[in-house]
Amino acid sequence: MWFILPIIGLILGIYLGSNITFQLPAIYIKYMSIAVLASLDSVFGGIKAVLKNNFDGTILLSGFFTNALLAALLAYLGDRLDVDLYYAAIFAFGVRIFQNLATIRHHVITNLRQRKALARGEKNE
Amino acid sequence: MRKFILPLTIVCIISGFFLAFQFKIQTNTTSFDAVSQKNANLINVIQSLEQEIESQEDQIAAMRNQLNEIQNQNNRGKLQDLQQELIRAKINAGLTSVIGKGIVITLDDNKEGLNAAPNDDPNKYIIHYEHILNLVNELKIGGAEAISVNGQRLITTSEIRCVGNLILINMSRIAPPFVISAIGSPKLMLESVSMGQLELLKSAQYPITVEEKEELIIPAYKGELQFNSAVSQ
Repeated sequence: MWFILPIIGLILGIYLGSNITFQLPAIYIKYMSIAVLASLDSVFGGIKAVLKNNFDGTILLSGFFTNALLAALLAYLGDRLDVDLYYAAIFAFGVRIFQNLATIRHHVITNLRQRKALARGEKNE
Repeated sequence: MRKFILPLTIVCIISGFFLAFQFKIQTNTTSFDAVSQKNANLINVIQSLEQEIESQEDQIAAMRNQLNEIQNQNNRGKLQDLQQELIRAKINAGLTSVIGKGIVITLDDNKEGLNAAPNDDPNKYIIHYEHILNLVNELKIGGAEAISVNGQRLITTSEIRCVGNLILINMSRIAPPFVISAIGSPKLMLESVSMGQLELLKSAQYPITVEEKEELIIPAYKGELQFNSAVSQ
């Protein structure tokens, strides 16, 4: 199964993240929340691409880093200007996550229906 | 291996790491966020009030200086005697800064001990107001004539009181390291303190230094001093 290794990676990441003793200053928590959303967006985007058969590793990784960096820059700029610009990043990532999830759901459901239809077809023969 | 597995795994690792890390931070911080906001406001209030107190104390000091000048102007005959009496009374009351030989005790929290035993009760490693109170009492027994703690002159109305993690003396907040200066006979005062609290603190390994000084200056009491109920009998 192709998704075993990514799931192991996820568990490894959770293990590392919960065992790290690094103390983040309170001001950067905002930036961390953006990083979380950017990485979640990349994960769902990657899964969607796999299902759509147009997966490209370079695009996924570069997209992840540039998106996260851009969002952090936006948040920083917002901090300087006293405008909560990081909401814009959160909103953009949130919308994208929902869209990716919706596409994944469509794919999974149509795949299941096709399989069912195929199975019925075999029985009928 | 299909080409997408490795990049997807990398992103998954990063994502899981961020998720868990953020989750950990949030569970640590959200619980006292509102409180810390409120605390920040209270700290602001306290700081502005302290500034006000400081400026008013400066005003008191200036007015006392003015009063001194006026009192020193006419020094003839019986007035001179009265003035000397006044000066003595002021020294007794702690309203003038005084100079003389004495000792300076510096004590601080036992940070090394706390670092060495981080799971132990931190109360065992910090200086409490009782320690200072006991030291001051022992200095008085040793014949101290003027005592100040971190620049706060102790007078008849001075309190040494615990407020959270700070100590109040003359209504001013005092934080470690604590410098207790006392004018008097160094020998007698040293004997008095070394039989009691000082030895206890030393054996508990608090960082303590004791210095003998030939010329020790102890500042005047800066706060207000008014007797409304007590009148001379």
